[in-house]
Amino acid sequence: MHRNLRKLENESIYIFRQAYRSIPNVALLWSLGKDSNVMLWLAFKAFLGRIPFPLVHVDTGKKFKEMYSFRDKYVKKWKLNLIKGSCPSIEKVDSTLPPAARSAARKTEGLRKIIKEKNFRGIIAGIRRDEQGTRAKERIFSPRSDSGAWDIKNQPPEFWDQSNFNYPKSVHVRIHPLLGWTELDIWEYIKYEKIPVVDLYFSKNGKRYRSLGDEDITSPVKSSAKTIEEIIEELKVSKTSERSGRKMDHEEENVFERLRTKGYM
Amino acid sequence: MIQNNDFDVPKIVIVGHVDHGKSSFIGRLLYDIGEIQKEKFGELKKASKKRGEEFEFAFLLDALQDERDQGITIDTTRIFFKTKKRKYVFIDAPGHKEFIRNMITGAASADIAILIVDVKDGIKQQTKKHSYLLKLLGIEKVITLYNKMDKISYSESKFLNIKAELDEFLSNIGIESYTSLPISSKKGDNIVSLSKNMRWYHGQSFVEILDGYKIQENNKSEFIRFPVQDIYKLGDKRVIVGRIESGKIKSGTKLIFLPSNESVYVKTLEVWPKAKKEYEVGDCIGITLSDEIFVDKGNMGSDLERPPKLTNRFESRVFWLSKSKILFNKKYLMKINTGEYEVSINKIKKIIDVESLTEKTKINVQKNDICEVVIHSSELIPMDDYSFNKSTSRFCLLDEKEIVAGGIVDIRNYPDQREYKDNFKQNIVPENYAVSEIDRSIRFNHRPGIVWLTGLSGAGKSTIAKNVEKRLFHKNINIFSLDGDNLRIGLNKNLNFSPEDRTENIRRTAEVANLFTKAGFIVLVSLISPYRSERKKARDIRPEIFREIYIEASVEVCSKRDVKGLYAKAIKGEIKNFTGISSPYEPPEMPNLVINTSRCSVEESVRKLEEYILKEFSF
Repeated sequence: MHRNLRKLENESIYIFRQAYRSIPNVALLWSLGKDSNVMLWLAFKAFLGRIPFPLVHVDTGKKFKEMYSFRDKYVKKWKLNLIKGSCPSIEKVDSTLPPAARSAARKTEGLRKIIKEKNFRGIIAGIRRDEQGTRAKERIFSPRSDSGAWDIKNQPPEFWDQSNFNYPKSVHVRIHPLLGWTELDIWEYIKYEKIPVVDLYFSKNGKRYRSLGDEDITSPVKSSAKTIEEIIEELKVSKTSERSGRKMDHEEENVFERLRTKGYM
Repeated sequence: MIQNNDFDVPKIVIVGHVDHGKSSFIGRLLYDIGEIQKEKFGELKKASKKRGEEFEFAFLLDALQDERDQGITIDTTRIFFKTKKRKYVFIDAPGHKEFIRNMITGAASADIAILIVDVKDGIKQQTKKHSYLLKLLGIEKVITLYNKMDKISYSESKFLNIKAELDEFLSNIGIESYTSLPISSKKGDNIVSLSKNMRWYHGQSFVEILDGYKIQENNKSEFIRFPVQDIYKLGDKRVIVGRIESGKIKSGTKLIFLPSNESVYVKTLEVWPKAKKEYEVGDCIGITLSDEIFVDKGNMGSDLERPPKLTNRFESRVFWLSKSKILFNKKYLMKINTGEYEVSINKIKKIIDVESLTEKTKINVQKNDICEVVIHSSELIPMDDYSFNKSTSRFCLLDEKEIVAGGIVDIRNYPDQREYKDNFKQNIVPENYAVSEIDRSIRFNHRPGIVWLTGLSGAGKSTIAKNVEKRLFHKNINIFSLDGDNLRIGLNKNLNFSPEDRTENIRRTAEVANLFTKAGFIVLVSLISPYRSERKKARDIRPEIFREIYIEASVEVCSKRDVKGLYAKAIKGEIKNFTGISSPYEPPEMPNLVINTSRCSVEESVRKLEEYILKEFSF
């Protein structure tokens, strides 16, 4: 493994261990995409071959069928403790949001519900800084009020691997072990560690999915990359953004920020 | 072809006064080297047009709606980019002084630092403050950019004047100016290639400078530092996990653990799915040990040759991030490496005026001040001096709500209390115990401890101790209560209440308590123990498991209760040297727990102590 990947791996393991030690009742959000599979893998590394907390899949019910079968296969194979959470219908979600974003916001509601039900104090999520401008502003340990809201203007300081964990019981902490990784790092790590991913990432008929969300608001991008190696080569020269196939990001200028301040990942 | 494979991706922080053009510079750079994704550029240009404003390069970074509206950067953003040589991450640090804590968050992890100055506006307060903070954060070299050269007609002489001024300031605080480069972000001068507007400048362009910059390895110390992050029980294995902060570890490496001061060999390396033969700086690993010694979260593993110092008092240079002032009687939580300790700030030595580099005359700190303080802890803390090992000598302080400060350790003038602890055993070689403490505590399923209850006669020490003893006994805790009065009937029969005899009384009691802990017990000691110095001696016998509990009640309250009728006698003068009446009581300065029995009921007090003991001594 090259030095940069080893450094990222070590940073993530450190974050996992710190979270598990410092926050009671944590859970890992498994969205079935490439990033959250890498995250799962890193959790196995951090806890030496087991994962001492549950995984949560907040299911919109609208994922690709390939994603569901992937989930069921690896729950068995890796003996995962998976909790499935459901999302409310679209009518119950903020109607001022543009259509795709509103659809995505169902997941925020579903997540809020399961956090409350299971009384989770920490949620491990696989977001990365290079994905999107507001994600770039994130902390590794990011406190959220009980409504799930993110107070971007008043984030706690974080330095020298030290963070505050002393929050009231109504607050949960979002934990972001992949924050410093890039899309290219993720694929290089998948290649090196042989981490399984859903087939949808590989090109079929000249198109592939670069980022996976709900089936109705995610489009494939033009690509001939049929293998991990080809994806890596493609990314090295790509000038389009990873989330260009995610409709929710492009409806209005600040829509993603609106989603995130309300509790979206 | 990008050759990033065997290199780190350097993190670049860019600091400077508000509006001196940090974000614009980054935006411009990314645009000029072709890193801006077309669609993003287009989206933002369109949006600016819609709002009827001129497009600025800073918009590319200030992705947050708010920031575009206010025109300033609020938080740190990370932007990844690549040149022909390698990849980089940009951390854009906000310049506004309200956002120092965000600047620190960004800069603390940087490999390369860039200081940007607006040549028209000159050197400002935040220019100096940021430089000073960089130095505190361990950065010793900066690339200085003199921005907005177009606004001073690209004048060399003006550039040289301001450069001389800044260079002097930087060298005064111990920062080396690696290169000084005149630029204009707006016009793109000297960023990717040399500009025709400044033919007098004969150096390299920014990108060339960056690509030629050699990254310093941040920790080359060969001495092992392995702070214990956690302990995992895997089957019958007890795996100690942590990150190597310096040195190398393999099977067979001899380590000493502090504060327990016991040495041991590394038996196996535990890494999933399979361990390598040897690990080094930065690696997160697990180890098992050749002997079951007592190791806990927050302890420090190190080599035997140069272990960290153990001390409960040290000096530090800190940056203060909180709105509230430093309170001397307040307990702060200090996090250093993986350890957490209760500390108090005893003294503010000086507050530094960053602009003039002199001492400020005020008495207490304000938010964002930098100062030198003396810190005290009731426990011994393993730590290094900042000049010896950067990563094991920096810490943060928290109050109940938030991180209030960050600081670096200066213990050059403080003795290692570990050596002191060993010295007085000179001529007696103790016999090893056949059954080790760790084996006992594994059987009992809790750690041993000395819980020392101090307070006036009648404050409620014995009552609380008796009740807690009963309740914890029923929870299968191996617990025993040592009562001052009971000991005076037997072991301490020959002692009266003179200061010397009180001292001896405490010494004997502490030694008995110590023996009980060797047998795996949690010992409750109820003893007035009025003198701080004597309680400190008791603590020093086994500081790592000693907890001081102040059972607080005023003399008035205690004499009103007067369960044993002693206060009445003392007031009449029938008892001499009675604490609180005719003999002083020195309340603890830093107790681990305070129970005020004039405010709490017996039931409440008992529950408080019970919870505390369970929290402190269970596995």
